[in-house]
Formats: sequence, structure tokens, C-alpha cells
Amino acid sequence: MTAFRPMSGVRVLDFGLLTAGANTSAMLADLGADVIKIESGAYMDPFRAVGARDTAPGWWNRSPQYHFTNRNKRGAALNLKHAEGRRLVLELAKSCDVLVENFRRGVLERFGLTWEALKAANPRIVVASISSQGDTGPWRLHASYGSTLDATGGLASLTGYAGGAPTISGMDVNYPDQVVSLIATGLVIAAVMDARRTGKGALLDISQREIASFLIGEEIMAAAADPARRQPRRTGNAQEGVLFQDCLKCAGGKWVAVTLADTDAAGRCATAIGGVPHTGLRAALTAWCANRSADDAAKILVAASLPASRVMDGMDPLRDPGLAGGTLLRGDGGKLVKGMPYAFDGAGLAIERAAPDLGEHTLEILRDVLKLDEAEIARLDGLGVTSATPDTP
Amino acid sequence: MTDEAGPRPLTGTTILEIDNPDAGPHLRLAKALAGKIVADLGATVIKLEAAAGDPVRAMPPFLPAVADTARRSALFQFLNTGKRILKMPAGATARRDALTTLLGASIDGVLWEEGDDDASAIAAATMPRVEIGGWPEGMTKSTPLSEFTVMAVGGLLDIVGDPEREPLRLGGHQASYAAGLAAFTALMAGLAGRRAGLATPPARISLVEVMLWVNWKAAAGAFADGRSPTREGGRSEFQVVACRDGHIALVYGVTQFDAVKALVGDPRLDDPRFATRPQRRSCGEAIYDILRPWFAARTRMEVYELAQGKGIPMGPAFSPFDLLDDPQTLARDFIAAMDDGQGGGLRLPRLPVLWNGRGFAPVAARDVADLAGAFAP
Repeated sequence: MTAFRPMSGVRVLDFGLLTAGANTSAMLADLGADVIKIESGAYMDPFRAVGARDTAPGWWNRSPQYHFTNRNKRGAALNLKHAEGRRLVLELAKSCDVLVENFRRGVLERFGLTWEALKAANPRIVVASISSQGDTGPWRLHASYGSTLDATGGLASLTGYAGGAPTISGMDVNYPDQVVSLIATGLVIAAVMDARRTGKGALLDISQREIASFLIGEEIMAAAADPARRQPRRTGNAQEGVLFQDCLKCAGGKWVAVTLADTDAAGRCATAIGGVPHTGLRAALTAWCANRSADDAAKILVAASLPASRVMDGMDPLRDPGLAGGTLLRGDGGKLVKGMPYAFDGAGLAIERAAPDLGEHTLEILRDVLKLDEAEIARLDGLGVTSATPDTP
Repeated sequence: MTDEAGPRPLTGTTILEIDNPDAGPHLRLAKALAGKIVADLGATVIKLEAAAGDPVRAMPPFLPAVADTARRSALFQFLNTGKRILKMPAGATARRDALTTLLGASIDGVLWEEGDDDASAIAAATMPRVEIGGWPEGMTKSTPLSEFTVMAVGGLLDIVGDPEREPLRLGGHQASYAAGLAAFTALMAGLAGRRAGLATPPARISLVEVMLWVNWKAAAGAFADGRSPTREGGRSEFQVVACRDGHIALVYGVTQFDAVKALVGDPRLDDPRFATRPQRRSCGEAIYDILRPWFAARTRMEVYELAQGKGIPMGPAFSPFDLLDDPQTLARDFIAAMDDGQGGGLRLPRLPVLWNGRGFAPVAARDVADLAGAFAP
């Protein structure tokens, strides 16, 4: 958590899975909220399995991806497929300010956890319902991964080599999944402020596809207004309004990325590389880069006040903690954990709790939050409602 | 579904958005997006434009029907919906005096760009303040950046495109916009803290850090395997393939290869070489050679419906123009109409949330002449 805890006193019922949902509640936890992640042996966060690195018992608690996005939360096992599990979750909702979920549409309804039921249980609750296409509309049941949303959101049509096909960000980044929590967290906070003021919660119907399209809003606006822009343009690394921009291959095979905004920048570049012959700037820069390392090329261009950098990869922030800034930190047992996309007073994230094991805090939630006695807790255990062992290996 | 009536969640909140005349567009676009989101949520956002004008007014894409050159940039119009724009006076002393007056008024939050000559006046204020910067705190801030080099430093370029070709940027302004979303959330955290009676520390966003944060799987992969994942192009499990009338992203879950086989119905996919996922990952090109003709023979919407019918998460590569009237965006009123005050109607996406079923229609930015206009109800 941060030293600054504006979400202190806010309790979050967390059904967030994978990145989009689980990270929204993680960001609320980082800001001081008491986040209770609900899973069960019958249904775990898929990140527990996707990232599993062994098959020995407890494998479901060791996935790096799961640990990356679930710090500072408590975890309880309550099986929603069991009527008692559903009843307990509705009871929990009464003491929560926020519910975050990104199930496939229809799952919460099937469990009776509709907006109407949640609102009836707790009129102040804010429900952040994060889905592929939104909670309404003819395509609400469509399935998507992040790379699907690159395509259906419009970004892929604007990404690609000149003359080539639309290009998705790909499975190693799934860009549209990553940006969801950056806006969803802020929307939840705005709704919590509103609920505190008015006493009324809200259903936030957040469509991941709409977020992806929102991030190319000016292109949609231009396509509506200008018949010449109906066909999407793919221009590689070139950018409209920028004189020259591309990656150039350097000695050793690494690439340097260069932006020359205008003729003034192009002039400085020409001077820095020792003049430009009649073959033109691109040819001269290409030849010049081929004769030096990407780091040396970037250094010379930066000295001429030009934006330039070696194209870095996932190893760079591991090697250079200054570069990583607050984005990566070491959590429990040296595990790498995702940090925060902002800092307050220069301070980054503190990990106060490692990501919870499946069902790690079931007992304390039942006892301290739901005020159940030992006999009742034992009864639920006997029914299998609180089982924390995966149903299928 | 979209309406303009009634208070919005942030109605009654006033935010100052301070343009630094010397800031690059990468910072300006990030800050402007954060300000736009709070304005569309109902806050009064006063954008303090430099005397020389905001360079974004001259940035593409343009709206050919808008005659006023100061408002013909779709980028400018999109990023400034809902705002009141107040021109700052020329001259350092006059700007500082005006800024000091504004910061002393009833302001709930501030968005600003690093390197502002009047940073000390902003630092002296006590309301939530969010600074938009390029490099992480502590790095050499004088090293110039563009959105493109932010993507290079953040590793995002490395991960997109073909391994045989140059690294590829994402379209649009993703390096700035991702940071703009983070700035919005940081501002909301500050406002919530202030309303809870907490002292609100200044917040800072770094475009480079946000890009690294977005690209966390690269660092996670590097940490686990000792080498970074990189762009896979034609060897990737997920690829974009050509249909008869466009393209579709061929995406499927780790357990869905059988569903893909059932969809395409080509017995060559039963080859034992493709039996397990590790095997499939090592011969992606051979699999795609078999898959392509089936897709090429069908329209992208035919494929989309067939795939979704089997729960396979494929999706067509829609263009911005396609998004204006697909059944889903229409049903959710995602594309809103906006009067730009120039006699021409504009169409643009609303905020990506329905709030109790309500969408927040954007309204065009308007110029205000003075402080009284900036604060008028």
C-alpha cells in the first residue's frame, strides 16, 4: 500500500480475474482499501493455472502471474455454485462498498448476484462490471482476449507496416487488457465518492472494447467527418504530422528508435551524423546507424536534443532499477510484483500482504466480518462451501 | 441511453489544467486526456492555454468541414471536450500572477506538466496535484522524449511486429493516452483523500513508467526465463488473417484448438505434430498455412459469427469508420453526436462506461474570456 490511503475504510468484494479485473481491485488495495478476493476450489482466478510452473500440491498458489496482480488483498474461498456460498456472498456485500467483477456475462446472474439483488442488499454498493463488450447489446455474450480487442476496438487497423495487414499487440502484451484497470480504478473511486455523498451506489458497466476504441477517439471522429479517412491508414512507424520517425538497425543487430519532429530537428540530425548526401536523410541515417551500436547512436542523437533510444526489452528494467522506477518491486520471497503507475510524494508501493493463497483468509472473514460461530463455520466446511482445493487437477 | 440532463458524478468539482508552454506533445496529450475524462464526468475543468496557443490545435487528424483553423483538429476537439479554455497572458510575470490568482480560488485539483516555469507556485498549493512527466523520477529528465521513444524505452516496440522486420509502434497515441488514464486515476485518488480529510501528497506520472507497467509481461517473462519475450510475427499463436472482405484476429484459448479444428474442418489439422500446445507453438507457420484458405473463402462477419458461436474469441479488425455503426456500438449509443458550434455536427466516442445505464455525452470545449467566465456556473 502507499502511505497515502484515500481508500482506507473502503471494503471491496473482489471477483476480478486475470489482469483487467484483478488489477483494478489491486490498485484499490494499494490505495488502502480492504480487498477480499473471492474464489473457490470450484473456480479459481485463471492466472493461478495459466502461470503454474509445477504440479506438486499447492501449485495453484505459486503462479508468478497471479502474484504479480494480487498483492495487498485478502482471499476467501466461497463456492458460488453452492446455495450457501451465494447466500454468504450476499451477506458480505452488505458490508462492502465496492464489488469488482469481470466474469463472462451471465455468470453473476446465474448465481443470483444481479445488480438488483446487490442493490437491495446494500443501496450504497458500487458494482464495477467489467466485460468484453459491455453488459447490454447484441454482442454482450461475445468472448474476447486482449488481442481480440486490438482488432474489434479498431487499434489493429491503425497498427501495421505500410501496405501490410492490421496488426495486434499480441499475446505477450494484450495491450487492451492492460489499460482497463488504469481507467476503471478511477471510475470506481469517483463512484465511491458519489456514493458517500448521496448514499446511493452505482452500476458501472465498463466495456473493454469501448475502452480500446476510446483510446483512438480522434481517429473515429475524423473517420466520421472526412470521407478520405474511411479507409484506415497503416504507416509503420511514421506518424502523421511528424517529419520522420522509424527504427533503424544498428551494428550488433539492435534497433534505435528516432523521432524527427520537423525540419529543424532534421537539420540537427544531419549535423549530428556528419551531413546528409543527396541520397536523403533516411539513407544517410540508415548507413550511419549500421556503423555503430544502438546505444552509441542514441547517445549522439540525444546530444543533439533529438528523441532517440535503443529499443529496449523486458531485460532492461531488470538490469536498471532507475529505469524500472516504481513499476517493479520484489515481494514475498523475492518474487517480482507489478508496482504502481503513479507515485504520491515520490513514494512507490509497499507490499504489506503477499497475494493470498486460495482460501487463506476464509476463517477470519467468516468469523470477523460475517460474525459466524465455530459450529456454523464447521457446517459450511462439511458442505464443501469453503473448500480451497481445486476440483480438477 | 446517452443524455445531457442531471448532475454527473463530478459535478461541483473544479479542476485546473495548466499547459506548460515548453512541454512536448507527449506530455500535453496525456494531461489533456485526464482532463477530458474528468470534464466528461461533470467536473468544471479550466484549461489554461499558453498565450502562443496549444500546438495540439495544429495536430492531425483534421476535420475538413470546420472552417476555424483553431478548431479543425479532431485530436484537439476529442481531448478537450467539456472544458473551458482560458488563454493565459503573455509574459512570465503576468502568467505567474494569473496562475497564483487561479490557484488561490476554490480549486479542487490540478493537472500540470513537468518543467513548468511556475512549478514553485504549483508546489506551494495544497489541493491534489498530478504532475505529468516523461522519465521516472531520478532519471535524467533532460533527455528528450517523444511518444515513439517512450514506447522504445518501455519495451512495447520490441514486442509488436515481425521478428525479421523493424519493431512496430501501436497506432494512435497510446504512450500518452495510457499515461493519461493513470493520471485520471491518480487525480481521483487525490480527490477522495481530500474529501476524507487527508493531507493530499502531490502525485507524479511518468510516461516511461506507465509504458513499462503496461508491458509488465515482458519483465515477468524475462525474470522467469532469463530472456525477454519478443515479437513473434508469423510464428505467433495469435495472428491476423485475411478474409474475403477484410481481416480477423485469430485468437483462441489454450484448450480451444479442437474447437478451431471443428470450425475449419480440415483433416490436416489432426496431424500429430499439432497435438500439444508446445508442439503447436513450434510450428505456428505450418498451422497457419492450413488455416488461411478457409478464412480467405469467407467474409469476416461470417467467420466472426461462426467462431463466437463456438465460444472462440476471434474478432474482425474493425476500422474507426466501421465502429460508427456496428450493432453493438449502436445499441449502447457509444458514438455520440456533438455540436462543435461551427454548424457542423461531429461524432465521437463517449466515455467507456455506462453509469446506471447512462452514458455521458461529450460537449465541445468553449473559450472563456476571463476568470469570471471560467468559474461561472
